Amino acid sequence: MSRVEGAYHKLIVWILMVMLLLPLVATLIYALVSEWGATILPSGFTLKWMISLWSDPRFLIALWHSLLICFGTLVLSLVLILPLMFVIAYYFPKLDALMNILILLPFSVPPVVSSVGLMSLYSSGPLVLTGTPWILIGCYFTIALPFIYRAISNNMQAINLRDLMDAAHLLGASTWKAALLVVLPNLRKGGMIAVLLSFSFLIGEFVFANLLAGSRYETLQVYLFNMRNGSGHFTSALVISYFVVVLGFTWVANVLNKEKS
Amino acid sequence: MSYLQVTQLNKHYGHTQIFNNIDFTAKEGEFVTLLGPSGCGKSTLLRCLAGLTSVDSGQIILQGQDIVPLSPQERGIGMVFQSYALFPNMTVEGNVAFGLKMQKLSASEIHRRVGDVLALVEMNEYSKRFPHQLSGGQCQRVALARSLVTQPRLLLLDEPLSALDARIRKHLREQIRRIQREMNLTAIFVTHDQEEALTMSDRIVLMNKGQIVQNADAETLYTAPVNAFAAGFIGSYNLLTAEQAQALTGQSYGGQVAIRPESIVICAPEQGISARILHHSLLGSVVRYRVLANNVELSVDVLNRSVDSLLADGIEIGLQLDLVTLREVA
Repeated sequence: MSRVEGAYHKLIVWILMVMLLLPLVATLIYALVSEWGATILPSGFTLKWMISLWSDPRFLIALWHSLLICFGTLVLSLVLILPLMFVIAYYFPKLDALMNILILLPFSVPPVVSSVGLMSLYSSGPLVLTGTPWILIGCYFTIALPFIYRAISNNMQAINLRDLMDAAHLLGASTWKAALLVVLPNLRKGGMIAVLLSFSFLIGEFVFANLLAGSRYETLQVYLFNMRNGSGHFTSALVISYFVVVLGFTWVANVLNKEKS
Repeated sequence: MSYLQVTQLNKHYGHTQIFNNIDFTAKEGEFVTLLGPSGCGKSTLLRCLAGLTSVDSGQIILQGQDIVPLSPQERGIGMVFQSYALFPNMTVEGNVAFGLKMQKLSASEIHRRVGDVLALVEMNEYSKRFPHQLSGGQCQRVALARSLVTQPRLLLLDEPLSALDARIRKHLREQIRRIQREMNLTAIFVTHDQEEALTMSDRIVLMNKGQIVQNADAETLYTAPVNAFAAGFIGSYNLLTAEQAQALTGQSYGGQVAIRPESIVICAPEQGISARILHHSLLGSVVRYRVLANNVELSVDVLNRSVDSLLADGIEIGLQLDLVTLREVA
């Protein structure tokens, strides 16, 4: 590689970095200054927006709601999808093609349409969920499904499931024990990717949250929407805080993942 | 009564018959190889012995007990897979201990037996490693240890050496055979490699298209193939039609005739059947000549004694055929 080429590669990387980081950095600065209106440079740094955000009980409740919904969805998804995928991969491999089409459905139907459908589905028996946070978990499950299915299915194909199960059976393990002791631990990597992907996607979800629960059960994004007429510095602080929360969880998850392997 | 007796075993998938009325036996401590081209049903037969695949009809009698109704867990059979099938989330030690843990043995007993069997396959230095930190040959040794540690009644090996490179394959071949002899294990070995089958086995069951073609020891299989398939699969027999054989020997034959390339002797042109060398290839210790004699093309193997004894392409030679080495095959 020549020097010119190297410089060119570096330039591209730098431009990309700047493009990705600039909005974030600008938002961060905006959240940390007292006034930045008619002047080129901001008039002074302050933490008052951050402090007022983190001392707003409404924000803390919205954050709690968002985390609860996200983790609720992830737990529900994993509990339902992992056994399902094992059954498909081990007993009915032909169904995988069908599943690959089914998991695209949540994307093919616009949220505005599907939320109407979901509301009418859940507003009468046997399961009345409309107006409760549970409807969001049910709905988010369908959105998270494609991410989780794809990530775990790739992982499942990589581990040679059939031979591992056969080997475990011959060594005296029941199918349950084999699935739990041999297959499940080897899906950790795919499972982690699935969880992180879905988490960062779900915590930023607005359309469904607003249509299905709205102000009755304010999540972070709905709270942000409701605050849109307030100070821009305040909403900037909110965006940065939200970003830091996602970053924090991702980092913790990565550390936990590394420690085990 | 044999240690293992398989009678009238049948298996089909849909309309495809995988194997048909299979009968064979194995004595205690015997090393039996199922040999055949891919798709001949040998691997499915092995999986049926293990209980991983169900059979349509027939009996598998192991130590006097029909094991067909038993689940794989209850059969007491160990198996080594071509893909190793080691558990990636466990260390070498964990993999080998798995079977013993399922039997709920005490921790000290497990530790002792894992140590013993790892020493047997010369892998005790690697007990804390994970499978992805091992080479293919090492993985297969761990897989072997894992299947031996539970002291199985029968050891099944499904092309265990096929994924390994030549040098490791040879070493592991000897190691498997040594351990099998030491432990007096009854082993069923599946392979498509005739050299592997000939060097390792007490007895070879040659299969083709779901049928047993020939069931004999290596020597018989090599020197006395029962039909054209057996002759074609083992060694590199010259297969001649009745007319070609008559043209060469002057005798009349009823059907195809097989002759091994190393049983033809090259001599001076005036001494035998006159022939001409078409080309030659060096196989290492052996030189294989393609020769044309009386309009019949033949392979002739000669031991590669020295550079001087190499014969150039195109020169005239004589061939001597020992008539007893010619075999009529169906």
